[in-house]
Amino acid sequence: MKKNWYILLMALLFSACGDGEKPVIDTEYPEIIVTDSSFPLQCSVLERGSTVQFRALFRDNVELGGFSVDIHHNFDHHTHSTEVNDCEEEPVKAPVNPMLFIQTYQIPSGLNEYEGTAEIDIPEDIDPGDYHFMIRVTDQEGWQTIQGLSIKIE
Amino acid sequence: MTFPIRLIFFLCIAGGLFYGTSPALAHNGFPMMGQDTTKLSKQDTASEYQDLDEVVVVDQAAMVKREISNSVALVRQDFIRENRGGSLMKSLERVPGISTIGIGSGASKPLIRGLGFNQVMVVENGVKHEGQQWGADHGLEVDQYAAEQVMIIKGPASFKYGSDAIAGVIDIRDKLPPAEEGVGGSVELGGRSNNGWIGGSANVTARKDNWFVEGRFTLADYGDFNVPVDSVFVYDFGVALHQGDVRNTAGRELDFSGRIGYLGKHFRNALTVSRVRTRSGFFANAHGLEPRQVDAAVHDRSSRDILLPYQEVTHTKVINRASYAAGKQFIQLDLAYQRNDRKEWSQYVNHGYMPPLYPAEMPYPSSQERAFDKHVFSLNLKDEWFLDKHQIMLGASGEYQDNTIGGWGFLIPAFQQYSYGVFAIEKFSVSPLWKLTAALRYDHSRIHVEAYQDWFPSVEHADQAAPSDYLYRSSDFRRDFDSFVWSVGVNFLPGDLSLKGNLGTSFRMPIAKELAANGVNYHYFRYEKGNPDLDPERSLQLDVEAELKKENWQVAFSPFLNYFSNYIYLNPTAELDILYGAGNQVFNYTQAEVLRYGAEFNAVYRFTPQWSAELIGEYVYSEQQSGAKRGYTLPFSPPPSGIVNITYQPLGTESFFSPYFAVDLRATARQANIVPPEKVTEGYQLVHLRAGAKVKVFQQPIQADLQVQNLLNTRYLNHTSFYRLISLPEAGRNISLSLKYEF
Repeated sequence: MKKNWYILLMALLFSACGDGEKPVIDTEYPEIIVTDSSFPLQCSVLERGSTVQFRALFRDNVELGGFSVDIHHNFDHHTHSTEVNDCEEEPVKAPVNPMLFIQTYQIPSGLNEYEGTAEIDIPEDIDPGDYHFMIRVTDQEGWQTIQGLSIKIE
Repeated sequence: MTFPIRLIFFLCIAGGLFYGTSPALAHNGFPMMGQDTTKLSKQDTASEYQDLDEVVVVDQAAMVKREISNSVALVRQDFIRENRGGSLMKSLERVPGISTIGIGSGASKPLIRGLGFNQVMVVENGVKHEGQQWGADHGLEVDQYAAEQVMIIKGPASFKYGSDAIAGVIDIRDKLPPAEEGVGGSVELGGRSNNGWIGGSANVTARKDNWFVEGRFTLADYGDFNVPVDSVFVYDFGVALHQGDVRNTAGRELDFSGRIGYLGKHFRNALTVSRVRTRSGFFANAHGLEPRQVDAAVHDRSSRDILLPYQEVTHTKVINRASYAAGKQFIQLDLAYQRNDRKEWSQYVNHGYMPPLYPAEMPYPSSQERAFDKHVFSLNLKDEWFLDKHQIMLGASGEYQDNTIGGWGFLIPAFQQYSYGVFAIEKFSVSPLWKLTAALRYDHSRIHVEAYQDWFPSVEHADQAAPSDYLYRSSDFRRDFDSFVWSVGVNFLPGDLSLKGNLGTSFRMPIAKELAANGVNYHYFRYEKGNPDLDPERSLQLDVEAELKKENWQVAFSPFLNYFSNYIYLNPTAELDILYGAGNQVFNYTQAEVLRYGAEFNAVYRFTPQWSAELIGEYVYSEQQSGAKRGYTLPFSPPPSGIVNITYQPLGTESFFSPYFAVDLRATARQANIVPPEKVTEGYQLVHLRAGAKVKVFQQPIQADLQVQNLLNTRYLNHTSFYRLISLPEAGRNISLSLKYEF
């Protein structure tokens, strides 16, 4: 209780003399930047039985946190895409053996710019069709940016 | 209503002051309820008050405020009627210090000085309303037509109300029992242009000797609400809106209540049964923050249909209040049962590791995403003594609740919880000018959280799943919490001035979600992780209120200073979790020290008997003092805002009386004080108009009230709106009309 009183008293003083010493806070979201080497892009086509190289540039004003990649089917067109231009979609269909890929990745500490890469195997036996490719990136303060791409697997 | 009856009615509102012959004697309980007082319970006809001037009566109501050491706002039915919004909380938004977290047009949650959810307690007819713990996306299951008076305590009130009253209390009261023999009632009808809302409420009351009965029926049906834009961007995903309609935000509400009571000389009893039932759609293009492709042709066929996703809530209450008044003692017992039955319907989407096709053997339909069923039994007992200079209240309360869950989506496990508390409040009238209040309370509660296992394995290839791949989202555990709070207050009442101060602690037991959540909230792309080690949230607050009333003007200023030693909140981290979180960002329930301060200001000046002006302002500042978000504010921090009002009340005529015309200019500042995942919200200005009068039609008086909200059809974002994160603007221009006939 003693501590409470002290803080209350301090607070009174602070509120009377203005903001006092306030830590600088970060209010900016990290960015996912499309570069010439970024892959996949909106409407990219991936091939079954191949290994694709994921590549995206992440940037933050202070320090990046981590990123994750998620590939799931969009046969029902539920739309996670955050890109404005829609790709040509196949008719709605029921999934049989759709591809599912979820992976999280560390970003070395202290960086405010990082090129995220990952090798992703696209199995031979999965359903072809419309998929979502979700990229999530966080910064150290907990701001998260999501990019949802519509892709096709053939 | 004839004049004397209305007078008695006002007296009852102002009641609680009357005990014996000392009108200044404060009643620490619910000062608005005449029912609570020994005087009125002994003297049902109250004929001796008939000669009182109405002006005196109004002053009595104001005096209630002067008698309580907490910062309070009293709102009566006429205020709610003149400011009626789509839900009770929207109707109260004009009160300084009150804002709302809105979702759609028919539901909203209260924010008192920037705090809401479980930090604000809602009490209806003396019993704590249970049902809002589940999330941000649903409102308060209360029939706004049944609310006759609302007392808002803008500060900690745990000492009287128990856990959850840490930031304040919204105490809603139904109409008082009829004072006179015979049959009476009212019919209200209304319409709102923005969302095609039509609805109304009818009630009938009857009294014979010591018995009375009352019934109410409320109905509302509304369409999609309309915004002054033709497209919105859910993230960057562009959504075209059909004629500005926010797809699938239509809803329906059907409420009824019934009451039967006995009003004896010493003994009184009232049994109330009520049910509020709502069905309302969620914006179809974004379930939470998740963009959804929709069949626009199906949705846009009608703006009034409710398609997936939508929610259904049925809230049932049975409350029995018994009281006994003898000599200087007043005893009251409340027994209550309530059930909150809530279902969320949405298409099955295989998020994360869920199977691509919904298994046929599941016990729920594929469209039942979540179901929560809450049963609560509660008891409140109080015993008051009215002595010469002392007023002592001893009280006890107990509650048991059982919560079960259903549906294919998991967020919080099932749990049971019981709690009890005892308290004592002493009011001491030192002199006619000085009053002191002191209170102590002890509470104990225990929560039992049930285990929950996923119905699907968290692996990429389900056919290779081992039993351990079916994750336990929650383990079976129990926790006990104890809490001890105190409060001291002072009132100083020299003439026109009223000064009050209150210093007190308050507490809140952590809820199941905070202790045990362990699932992905896919609508927000976040993995919410509870913390079973959380302590009861504690707060220390200093409230000061000064009010000066003169013949033509009055000013009020109410600053506060608040410190939380452990504010519980959902902290977004840099982590992304693969196993439990399916690649989503981890949000941890955590506790941090928080400092908050702010104030409300209110001034009224009457230029002439016809013209008056009012100025209202509110400001809140919050800052986390420790933990991962040190230096950040709290989520849903309302920006500073103010209202400038001009009211014109000309003299009426024989068939058109008590007319009023009012214009509100509302200005809200930019909110740049944000915490992840919020966005900076720009300021805005709005113009609202209100007008009304009692009109005689076929010799019958009908109260008509007209409102034009957002007159200029301004496009703006509300920082505390549920849909702020997807940048969905607030409703455009709305014209609403309501008619009320009393018989």
